[in-house]
Amino acid sequence: MGRRRAERLGKWLVSGPPLLYLLVFFAAPTLIMVLASFRTPGEFGGLAPFIDEAGKADLNLESWTRFFTESIYLAIFLKSVVYATITTLACLLLAYPLAALIARSDRRYRDLLLLLVILPFWSNFLIRVYAWMIILGPNAALARVVNGALAMFGHEPVPLLFSSFAVLVCLVYVHLPFMVLPLYANLEKHDQALLDAAQDLGADAWQRFWRVTFPLSLPGVYAGAALVFIPALGIFAIPDILGGPEDTMIGNLIKQQFLETRDWPFGSVLSIVLTVAALGLAGVAALVGRGGARSGAPARA
Amino acid sequence: MKKLLQRAAACALLLATSAFGADQLHLYNWNNYIAPETVKRFEAQCKCEVVQTYYSDNEELLAKLAAGAKGYDVLVPTSNAVQALIKGGQLLPLDKTKLPNTRNVDPAYLNTPFDPGNQYSVPYAMSTTIIGYNDVKMKELGLPTDTWAVIFDPQYLAKVKGRVTVLDSAAELFAAAFKYLGYSANDTDPKHWDEATALIKKARPYWAAFNASSYIKELTVGNIWLVHGYSNDIFQANQDAQAAGRKFHILQGLPKEGAVLAVDNMVIHKSAPRPDLALQFINFMLDGRNSAELTNLIGSGNPNLEARKVIKPELLAYPAIFPPKEYQAKLEQLHDLTPAQRRLRNKLWTEIKAGR
Amino acid sequence: MRKGSRWLWAAALVAYGFLYLPLVIVVAYSFNDSRLNAEWVGFTLDWYRKLFADEDMLAAAGNSLLIALAASLVSTVLGTMAGVAMYRYRVRLLPVLVLTPIAIPEILMGVSLLIFFVLLNFTLGLLSVALAHIAFCIGFVAIVVRARLAGMDESLTEAARDCGASPARAFRHVTLPLIMPGVIAGALMAFTLSIDDFVITFFTAGAGTVTLPLQIYSMIKIAVTPEVNAVSTLLMLLTLVLIVIATKVSPSLFRTASETAP
Repeated sequence: MGRRRAERLGKWLVSGPPLLYLLVFFAAPTLIMVLASFRTPGEFGGLAPFIDEAGKADLNLESWTRFFTESIYLAIFLKSVVYATITTLACLLLAYPLAALIARSDRRYRDLLLLLVILPFWSNFLIRVYAWMIILGPNAALARVVNGALAMFGHEPVPLLFSSFAVLVCLVYVHLPFMVLPLYANLEKHDQALLDAAQDLGADAWQRFWRVTFPLSLPGVYAGAALVFIPALGIFAIPDILGGPEDTMIGNLIKQQFLETRDWPFGSVLSIVLTVAALGLAGVAALVGRGGARSGAPARA
Repeated sequence: MKKLLQRAAACALLLATSAFGADQLHLYNWNNYIAPETVKRFEAQCKCEVVQTYYSDNEELLAKLAAGAKGYDVLVPTSNAVQALIKGGQLLPLDKTKLPNTRNVDPAYLNTPFDPGNQYSVPYAMSTTIIGYNDVKMKELGLPTDTWAVIFDPQYLAKVKGRVTVLDSAAELFAAAFKYLGYSANDTDPKHWDEATALIKKARPYWAAFNASSYIKELTVGNIWLVHGYSNDIFQANQDAQAAGRKFHILQGLPKEGAVLAVDNMVIHKSAPRPDLALQFINFMLDGRNSAELTNLIGSGNPNLEARKVIKPELLAYPAIFPPKEYQAKLEQLHDLTPAQRRLRNKLWTEIKAGR
Repeated sequence: MRKGSRWLWAAALVAYGFLYLPLVIVVAYSFNDSRLNAEWVGFTLDWYRKLFADEDMLAAAGNSLLIALAASLVSTVLGTMAGVAMYRYRVRLLPVLVLTPIAIPEILMGVSLLIFFVLLNFTLGLLSVALAHIAFCIGFVAIVVRARLAGMDESLTEAARDCGASPARAFRHVTLPLIMPGVIAGALMAFTLSIDDFVITFFTAGAGTVTLPLQIYSMIKIAVTPEVNAVSTLLMLLTLVLIVIATKVSPSLFRTASETAP
């Protein structure tokens, strides 16, 4: 078989199955709900019949206009972006040393160390969140230490539980492995020889990190950031369980549309906006990153 | 290769489970809302298997059925959800000839506006949405426990700031606000809704959280001192608190302005695979002894008069579980709203939750 | 050890501590003599006894494990293919198709899949749940594999092809070992996502299908008892044991390029 034809066959053999699977089990169902954003909610839930009694198709822009004319949804959306951004940065700070340590450790221990990172996340989500409620409870050690310190400065005690702090801590906790794993996958292939060469040329530890390791790890950083920021944007369970009265995120709003207001079209609208915005932000970040990486990174390993 | 193996395994599993299919009753219920002994007794009687799956909110049930899910025989929705299901044509009419035990039910709970003539549903268990509190703390702070004012009035709230939670449910919270303001819990006047919203916004800074899932834990261990919650949960909280040897009690406070009553009902889904078993089950649960077992287990209210004979006497004495006649007039069941009303309520709720 | 790695160790230990503090509580509270997961009362083995007598909970745990294994295997295979396709062949449609399931709110995806299955008259059950899980896990694997491939030296694969290897052989013997850490990382993520998924599972599960999250979340308004802590602890241990056995039994599968290189 000619080289070109082999390549093309390879292309379809490799991209075909995932493409097909996602088209059938993701794109098709999602399109149903995208269409739903143009329909009216059913009287008692769900959607109104597609063809009404007059024989007309039920299509309108009601839900979309509602979204764009009421500013409160934008405000909640922006708050969610802030929370998701803080979560991503905190995850990056915590995950990087961890991933680096695992990547550089002895072959025998590497797999075990990696498993140890993900092991806690095979326990149920709810009881992990409950564990945080115990840690952050008003009578637990942490709260007593913090409020004791605050009392020394004459400040009123601050609740650690049912607050934005609790929501953020839990968000970071729940998403941490999704930053560690992509970073590790990237850092693992870094060639020690490069770092040794840099050291020989007189670079200190920080310079070696900032000018060699970090730029090379950027694809891993972006992958991890995407896998943390995007899901964190749409989360609702954590604010529900340990959030304060004003910690509503866009995920909560979307859940309410399906599970309280029974307004599926509006829920679809919010979901589409969230998805497009999340992908858009990720795309912008990738573009910026690619430009930065091109200008700053040294020659390929 | 791996994929092939996976598919084969899945097929084998599917075949295996469907071969089992024979005599199964699929019960879609709240978790811990039927005593295990009751289930076993029914399984012995009908020589069938009761397959239980759970939901934790009426809206979850409604959403799943609205999207077309099938395979459930008996469901246990609350009255307003029954209303939505009936209007949506999701239920099978009940064959009354197979349900002789319906005569055991207190007539006050039959023939409701939700289901005139009980064509589709029979009452199963109930709860009230009231105030739950830590008796030691409330006494210390000198707060009343028989009025919604303690949840809504800043003059009382100032003493419990950060130690109060309210339910994360627009329907329940607005209903409580309406009762406090002297209106019906099912008031639909937009002017009254604005009034209630203003009331809630004034009280919100004092509340620790809008919470329907983890507030009971915090109440039980003493981190939270006052809640807007369900009578069953508050009853359980006290059981747990005493079992843990705490120095306080968790008590139920019936607000004098009135409260919401939630009656859960047994219904049959229109595409139930085994309506015969379903009817058998419903009649079984209407028997006094079987009905009483749930109340004795979790402290739920019970509309079954025959059951009263077998319910623990100390439970019968709880006014929040078995409201006295005078109070019954102040209890209201929530009605389902129209889509326009739901949207308006959601808009107000969003403002409240967004801190505006 | 190189200079500066002390800081690395310290920072990594802080991160491990952060990861394990709640877990210590989870395991400890499985022995808590109280129905609630809220405060320590006393030590008891009752919850483990209760768990072993609780057929429903055990069946749910078994289902979750089965679905997670199946879903992570299939999604790892498909996700790796997608990652390679995105990187090497730059298939236009794939990045969008792969990233969107990660971005889309779970409720929307759950409801839409339910409607879709109902339209096709597809019986809901374990299979429908597994299919749904695969759909949202593929993206995670694909992104990690592509990130691993980024900046990879293509010359190695080119060399293999020049030596006469078919694309398949070049992939199996050159590319795959090079991307294996990414594949494993993706598989671990997919498994984790699947075993703990609630929302999508809720909507796509059949009338008799219970997975562990479905069982546990339905307890959220009453009491999530330490029995849940017990089942979680055991599930974690079981999975750890399974994986360790798998790596010992087929080490060649997990060998990375650094280990196979001459």
